[in-house]
Amino acid sequence: MSTPASTGEVVYDVRNVTLRFGGVVSLNDVNLQMFRGEILAVIGPNGAGKTSLFNSLTGVYTPQEGTIMLAARAGDVPVSAIGKKTHVINHLGVARTFQNIRLFPALTALENVKVGVETRMKSGPIASMLGLPRQRREERESTERAFELLRSVGLAARANELASSLAYGEQRRLEIARALGTDPGVILLDEPAAGTNPAEKRELAALIQQINAERGVSVLLIEHDMKLVMSVAHRLVVLNFGQKIAEGSPEQIQKDPAVVAAYLGTTTEEASELVGTASVTKIDTDLDLTEGDV
Amino acid sequence: MSTYTDVTKGGGQSRRSDAAEARIALAKRFAGCMFLAFVLALMIGTQEGTQDDFGYAFRKSVFAPRIGIFALIGVAVFLAVTFWPRIVPYLSRAGVRPLAAGALTVVVSFTLLNWTDSTDLNNGKFGGLRPAAAQTGGIDPVARLFFGSAFSLTPWLLLLIVVALVAAAIRFEDSSTLGYVGGGLAIVFGIWAQYAQSAVRSFLDYPDHSTGAGVALLGFVTIGVSGIVVARSHGKADSGGFFQRVYDWRPGMPLVALGAVVGLVGLFSAAWFSPTDRNAGIGLTSTMFHGTGLSGFSAAYLAWLAYVLFFATLILAGAASYLRHHLLGWVAAGLGVVSLLVTLYVMHDFSGLAAQSKFDGATGAWDNLGTGGWMLCGALTVLAGAGYLVARHEQVEVPDAAPGVSSDAALAAGSKLGPALLVVIIASALFFPPTATQFWQTVLVTEIGIYVLLAIGLNVVVGWAGLLDLGFIAFYAIGSYTTAYLTGRLPVKPPSFLELTPLAAIPFAIVICLVAGVLLGAPTLRLRGDYLAIVTLGFGEIIRVVANNSTPVTNGSRGAFNIPPPEIHIGPLDIKWGDNVLGYWYLLLVFVVIVVLLFNRLEHSRLGRAWAAIREDEVAAQATGINTVRVKLLAFAIGASTSGVAGVYFASQIGSFTPENFILNNSILVVAYVVFGGMGSLPGAMAGAAVLTWLPEFLRDQVPAEDRQMWIGAVILLMMIFRPAGLIPARRRRAELGGLDKKDSSETTAVPAGEGM
Repeated sequence: MSTPASTGEVVYDVRNVTLRFGGVVSLNDVNLQMFRGEILAVIGPNGAGKTSLFNSLTGVYTPQEGTIMLAARAGDVPVSAIGKKTHVINHLGVARTFQNIRLFPALTALENVKVGVETRMKSGPIASMLGLPRQRREERESTERAFELLRSVGLAARANELASSLAYGEQRRLEIARALGTDPGVILLDEPAAGTNPAEKRELAALIQQINAERGVSVLLIEHDMKLVMSVAHRLVVLNFGQKIAEGSPEQIQKDPAVVAAYLGTTTEEASELVGTASVTKIDTDLDLTEGDV
Repeated sequence: MSTYTDVTKGGGQSRRSDAAEARIALAKRFAGCMFLAFVLALMIGTQEGTQDDFGYAFRKSVFAPRIGIFALIGVAVFLAVTFWPRIVPYLSRAGVRPLAAGALTVVVSFTLLNWTDSTDLNNGKFGGLRPAAAQTGGIDPVARLFFGSAFSLTPWLLLLIVVALVAAAIRFEDSSTLGYVGGGLAIVFGIWAQYAQSAVRSFLDYPDHSTGAGVALLGFVTIGVSGIVVARSHGKADSGGFFQRVYDWRPGMPLVALGAVVGLVGLFSAAWFSPTDRNAGIGLTSTMFHGTGLSGFSAAYLAWLAYVLFFATLILAGAASYLRHHLLGWVAAGLGVVSLLVTLYVMHDFSGLAAQSKFDGATGAWDNLGTGGWMLCGALTVLAGAGYLVARHEQVEVPDAAPGVSSDAALAAGSKLGPALLVVIIASALFFPPTATQFWQTVLVTEIGIYVLLAIGLNVVVGWAGLLDLGFIAFYAIGSYTTAYLTGRLPVKPPSFLELTPLAAIPFAIVICLVAGVLLGAPTLRLRGDYLAIVTLGFGEIIRVVANNSTPVTNGSRGAFNIPPPEIHIGPLDIKWGDNVLGYWYLLLVFVVIVVLLFNRLEHSRLGRAWAAIREDEVAAQATGINTVRVKLLAFAIGASTSGVAGVYFASQIGSFTPENFILNNSILVVAYVVFGGMGSLPGAMAGAAVLTWLPEFLRDQVPAEDRQMWIGAVILLMMIFRPAGLIPARRRRAELGGLDKKDSSETTAVPAGEGM
């Protein structure tokens, strides 16, 4: 639909990445480039390796082969993301959300966001215990910034409610706000629309576009909901069985026979080469589920 | 379930089986209750047989008239459980909860508490005092009547009458007269109890620290208040608790009432001067010191100024609370503080004079004081606090979800009773210990206070950061040994410039414990849950075993001794703690207050939230950019240094210790205190430690020594069943437990849990 707002600068440069768990190959020689300012969607059937890719990008998993170079914010020198701890990668400017929501349920919405904001602050325990001026200033700043973020995701009115008491869609948005709190250059959204209703999905699409356009944050998106993906993504990457099978604009992907084969199990030659019958039924049900969601 | 389906299908057959099942259930319940009574009968009584008669204890418990009492208890429990559904609707009525609390308080004072610190009677409790008082001639007949001259059930009858009256008022909603009569009678009976006890006390003539009569008075007054509430509310539901409502209506009013009761008892009933052979009330004290060279001001105070100051403060605080007048509140608070200082000055003055003239072996000021002066001090503190609360009331309120307001403030606004409770706690922490017996003062200083400090420290590690640390006592040991080293009481002497007094050792102990905490934490904090617990347990044992075996350095199993008591010499300040236990209590209080203030800030700071985050979801915390290892290390180090401070205090207070003071059992006890009180809650951890260190000492007088642990176990079990989140649950932790319930109803399961990462 829309043209990639890319500047040509590479945020994530993934080359020949292979990730294995024992004999299971989760990612197989994946090559991927993500450009600054774009919304890149990673799609693929269940078990295609999407979340494994996310975890490799954020330092949770260490791929056995290949390189991942990261330059999250404009002007950063690319550094290798492999072997770095999750919180280090976060400090390099990568924030993420989780497929099953992982908030801090006993903290309020505001506090959840503050936790994110405050990882960029400096005051230590002694300053906190003594209530030094700098700590007070940081506390005030973090509250203001957290409120601003809550407002931008439409949760300002629920700031003082516990995260666990928020509705499902609200929790999804709160997770995004918390991720934005760390002031990222790239945000990785893992199925942000899962379990939300159509109205919430529309809001979410608007939110993703707003984050991308107004904050200049590059977005890497995993999503099953094709309507949402096609409406927000500038570019798509399709994974299947740990391999990249296609890459391109939404229009190109929709016409790509390999993708159609992977999703629909059509009886083209490539399709029969790529997938066995058992998997085809699985993908079919998967697709049903997706449509059911919409 | 099957009965329900049967019923829907209809038919006489199923209905009959329904009734039969109900009968069987009732029978089962009855059998259960009787069994409970039987077990209770075995628990309370002789526990062991003799060498040639193993069934002795059993027969003593079972084949005796007393089994009848326990059977009655069983029947009562059975009836209560059976009719519980019918009782439930009444529980939400106004006045029910204070009635229950008041009745329970009176029962406790009649059964468990001391009414005299008697040495003549074998038992200073109510049950022991009553026959003695009834037989002794010369006691005021009104007082004697209370103890039951004709008929020994009198005090219990009094309680029964008022409870029945108020309960009837609750049951028959229209009758407010019953409520007023019951409430009024209850207050009269309370005063009667107090009067009777003071009559007996002056007759028995020895120093008195007993709390029984005072507690009975408080219980009766609570019943009285509940009666009046019932009369005024005409059976309306009591949402949000009685005290909460009064507090919402007039903040400060509950405090004023409490201050009035305590102050009146202090002025009119309690002894002000108690050398070994008398209990002089304020009037008698005034007469005794007449013409002894007591300064005119103090003489005037004892003669009339005390009354003037107290009533002026009381009236001002009451008016300020009723009118919600800020300025009056400030005036009341100010007058309260001034009166408090004056009272302290006068107490110092006359007790100092008595000591100077070597009256009855007093060694210095503050000796031989009765409870009255301290009670008045406590009352004045409470009244001043009430005034202060009224003066500050508007600032306390925080509108919900107001943008820009820190969420912690909003959370804090949730419990408005907090400040009032805080005032009561401050007043009792300051002025209750001097009224306690030597035994309880020692317990307070060597058990309760120290473990409260330790629990505060461990709460950081276990409660806030969620790391189970079973070797916490090791840091306490390190603090103690550091003190012993720096005061030169170990075989290895410090360089001469480092030889310090115990208090100056605190910074060193803190630093050493910080380092030890980091050294232990750095390699082990990768471990989670049980594994971490095992490693810390090992660390605790290592420290103890090393201390036990490196005789050239630590003096081995003989430990360190002759550690000097703490002292302060800064400018004009020159304090040396000696044998007086009470002094250590105030020193400890200073430590606890400082630590609580600092940690309270910490809990609501960036680091506190980071701890909550890693406790709740470590993966998400990492992904949000929290360096989990660093944050955990900080928790470990901060907890450890608190423990180190406690160690310094312990070493210099106790004077000598051995490695046996730092056994694993103590670590586990501290964990139990924190869990019992409420993990992650600062007041909870403190309350847990206080209750569970107080309870064994309290039970000393109540149950056979070999049964004590069993009763404590029972209390902990009941607690974990009915309040699993602890005595005072942390707001965050409570939310966690609530949050889990809520999650089931939301759509979390839309995504398979395993795919989350």
